[in-house]
Amino acid sequence: MISFNCIVQEGVIPPRLRPELRSALARISTSLLGGSPGEVTVEFTEIPRGFGFRGGELSTTSLVRGSIPPGCRQEVRVDLMQQICDMWCATTGCATDELIVSARDRR
Amino acid sequence: MPFYRCLVPKDSIPFQQRQQVARAFTDIHCGLTGAPRDFVHVVFFEDHDAEFPEPYYVDGGNRAGRPAALKEKLLAELLGAFRDITGVPDAQVGGRITEGPASWTMEAGRVLPEPGEEGPEWYHLAAPAAVGDRGT
Repeated sequence: MISFNCIVQEGVIPPRLRPELRSALARISTSLLGGSPGEVTVEFTEIPRGFGFRGGELSTTSLVRGSIPPGCRQEVRVDLMQQICDMWCATTGCATDELIVSARDRR
Repeated sequence: MPFYRCLVPKDSIPFQQRQQVARAFTDIHCGLTGAPRDFVHVVFFEDHDAEFPEPYYVDGGNRAGRPAALKEKLLAELLGAFRDITGVPDAQVGGRITEGPASWTMEAGRVLPEPGEEGPEWYHLAAPAAVGDRGT
């Protein structure tokens, strides 16, 4: 089971882009880890303006928090995070320093 | 990373206090660990499941590998700052810091190094705007 929780700041990632981000996360993760894209769950959590901070100031940073099957080799994990980073920035137009990606072993 | 979730009741903390808490957490984390200020994330959640017994909860996620005494001091100072700024009574505030391997996270397009292994090159590559803040 692969899942992603995308934490985004209000007004930064337009809702119209979410279906494309969802399908791309499913496609990238299953291409590297196996499984079916239809089994990947992707949730979006929108942080209202004034509730998210980075360095003590209002944040525009998005977090893509992945949960993947345990035992993944590190080079595969890095490839996964890199592909997600590239896809996210290309799709949304955000800068690389406005994105955090994690791929944690599922508990 | 670090990522601090503040779980609070709805409409309980006004914006000014939220920002004060975020700045205090940034000061405390950077002061104790030497991390760049831009790496400290603080998010307030009002709509959340009752995950913890206390109505106010600071749930921190950091890189693994720091000494236990440092983690205890970090959490104590964060909770103290939260209480001081918001005025919430001690008994209503809880907190914890969980940890994960640095190698499981990519920030600014680069895999995070282990604590203490950052080196000056990493600060310049990963957080160029924050280099001047190192160790503050």
